Amino acid sequence: MPIDTIFEAIKNLRREGIKTFLTLLGVVIGIMAIVSLASIGAGLSESVTAQFEELGSNTIFIIPSGMGVAKISLTQNDIRNVENIIGVKSVVPIYSTQAKMEFNGKKINVSVNAVEEDKSDLFGGTGYFEVGEGRNFSKNESSSILVGNKIGKDYFDKEINIRKQILINDVAFKVIGILEAQPASFGGAPNSSSVVYMSYEGFKKITDKTDATIIFASSQFKDETSDVAEKIKDYFDKKYGEESVTVSASEQLLDQINVMLGMITLFIMGIGAISLVVGGVGIMNAMLTSVLQRTKEIGTYKALGATSQKILAIFLIEAGLIGLIGGIIGIIFGYATASLIAYIGTESGFALNAIMTSDIIITSLLFSMTIGIVAGILPAIRAANLDPVEALRFE
Amino acid sequence: MVIKKVTEKEKNIRANIRAKNESVIKVEDVYKIYKLDGIEVRALDGVSFDVKKGEYISIMGPSGSGKTTLLDALSTMMNPTSGNIFIEGKNTTAMSPSELAAFRGNKIGFIFQTFNLLPKLSALENVMVPMWINNYPRNLRKKTATEVLEKVGLGDRLHNRPNQMSGGQRQRVAIARALALNPNIIVADEPTGNLDSKSGKNVMELLRKLNEEGKTIVLVTHDLNLGETTDRQIYIKDGKIVSKREDAFGNRFK
Ligand SMILES: Nc1ncnc2c1ncn2[C@@H]1O[C@H](COP(=O)(O)OP(=O)(O)OP(=O)(O)O)[C@@H](O)[C@H]1O
Ligand SMILES: [Mg+2]
Repeated sequence: MPIDTIFEAIKNLRREGIKTFLTLLGVVIGIMAIVSLASIGAGLSESVTAQFEELGSNTIFIIPSGMGVAKISLTQNDIRNVENIIGVKSVVPIYSTQAKMEFNGKKINVSVNAVEEDKSDLFGGTGYFEVGEGRNFSKNESSSILVGNKIGKDYFDKEINIRKQILINDVAFKVIGILEAQPASFGGAPNSSSVVYMSYEGFKKITDKTDATIIFASSQFKDETSDVAEKIKDYFDKKYGEESVTVSASEQLLDQINVMLGMITLFIMGIGAISLVVGGVGIMNAMLTSVLQRTKEIGTYKALGATSQKILAIFLIEAGLIGLIGGIIGIIFGYATASLIAYIGTESGFALNAIMTSDIIITSLLFSMTIGIVAGILPAIRAANLDPVEALRFE
Repeated sequence: MVIKKVTEKEKNIRANIRAKNESVIKVEDVYKIYKLDGIEVRALDGVSFDVKKGEYISIMGPSGSGKTTLLDALSTMMNPTSGNIFIEGKNTTAMSPSELAAFRGNKIGFIFQTFNLLPKLSALENVMVPMWINNYPRNLRKKTATEVLEKVGLGDRLHNRPNQMSGGQRQRVAIARALALNPNIIVADEPTGNLDSKSGKNVMELLRKLNEEGKTIVLVTHDLNLGETTDRQIYIKDGKIVSKREDAFGNRFK
């Protein structure tokens, strides 16, 4: 009846009290590290996926290569040519420039982003921004702007309110909305808190620039997205040379980000695994000491009829239980830690989310139990092989 | 220590009953030889004898004569170098270690000089140890353990731990544990060695009572007075059985 053996093992662990607790600690810390990181990693991957889903999986990003110091620019001609590629449903170019903003007698530099006004819905729909106070653009609004949260609240001595007049490159604009403060994310969106948004009509009033910074294209059909992206890439490769423009379908981008995230998570989890192995050595050490201390007890068990297998089972189950219990506590604390990290991260402007999956739970429990049992094998064999007469004579 | 000596008449009655009984333990030409740094120690040097059903015998001899070794061998705790040990007709020296463990657990009750109770268990839990080891029915464990503890006079100490009991009480817990599975044979190695004379007497009376209830008992002692209270004595010296007390102990005690 192995149930008896399990009960005995549990009782033994309880009797050992503080020693059991210290042995558990090694496992708890290792599992805690692994679980908290796995939980944050899963949360990140989930939120990135959600962002891309919002974007639509038939979105194609067209970005000049070489962030910031792009060698080429996307001209109006390019935009029209992309529009005419078969399979492309719509094209949303985004324009941006640096400009001087004047309010309340003070001038600062801001970056201005713009989109053609008949496409401003799409602009918002990409998750670029969310309007907090005020409203989004409607038609024919060449002198309206949306202002980032930081600009509105912090950059000037006076807070900017809706309906205030502002000068950008000496052209007058009316503030129609203040953007929601948004945590930075992996979605590729710029931080919207220190940016000004306007329509392309307004943009043309403050600069001569007609080149787009990014183009969002969308394909007619979802399953053609990567083919269409390929065609767009061919067009740019021919015109500007290989790799001058990065063209990626949202799904590809998502895969890339997830692979990267997975690698980071795996690396940090590897460190957690090393600490678990250290925990395993702790279990082995505790069990070896315990076998030595309980030599006489083992001799007594044998005199009373315990087989070597039974002694082996008692010690293996004890070690396995330490692993299992340590695993359970580690999962609870690990999730708590992950939630805390996520909370602090989100508060300080970096979107994090802790989630718990059955995969994480099952894997870490199996892992911690295996560590316990493997660490327990040597001490258990030693206990099982004790000669009963010598064990009873042991002082 | 004053223990009731068995009268000659009683001894004869017992001897007559015994002669008709079959052997419970049969020790057949047993040797136990230790080799230490090339030097041979013959702890048992060709020992043969029988213990009949219901007998109460003592193995006596001076320190180092091989008493404990003999008891360990006949209680299947160790394998002799050569020779056979039969218990209830079965040759235990031919059994596998796990067969032996189960056999021992059910047939033989052990009483040790140092009690060997588990320090963190209560009296009741200690008595229940052989029960879970030998798969005694779960629902009967507490009841049976309580009964045997009451039998040894510890009905009011069920939940005391060993360190909350006197030496004599501890040894009685150990006796209760030996009785837990109602074995036919009880072996005891110097069971009074760590006890004061009053507790020792108490333990000896308990053993006598168990024998009267039909248990076969093998007692190891170097105390002549104790040994004389049993039905029969086996004297041993340098690993060999000798016929007379004087051959084992010399003429010092007369
Ligand atoms: N493991 C061992 N290795 C070597 N020699 C041993 C071992 N065990 C016992 N002996 C020797 O065997 C002999 C018999 O020992 P045993 O313990 O049986 O004596 P004993 O009669 O029980 O003595 P005591 O009355 O002191 O308990 C002794 O000489 C002892 O030194
Ligand atoms: Mg001895």
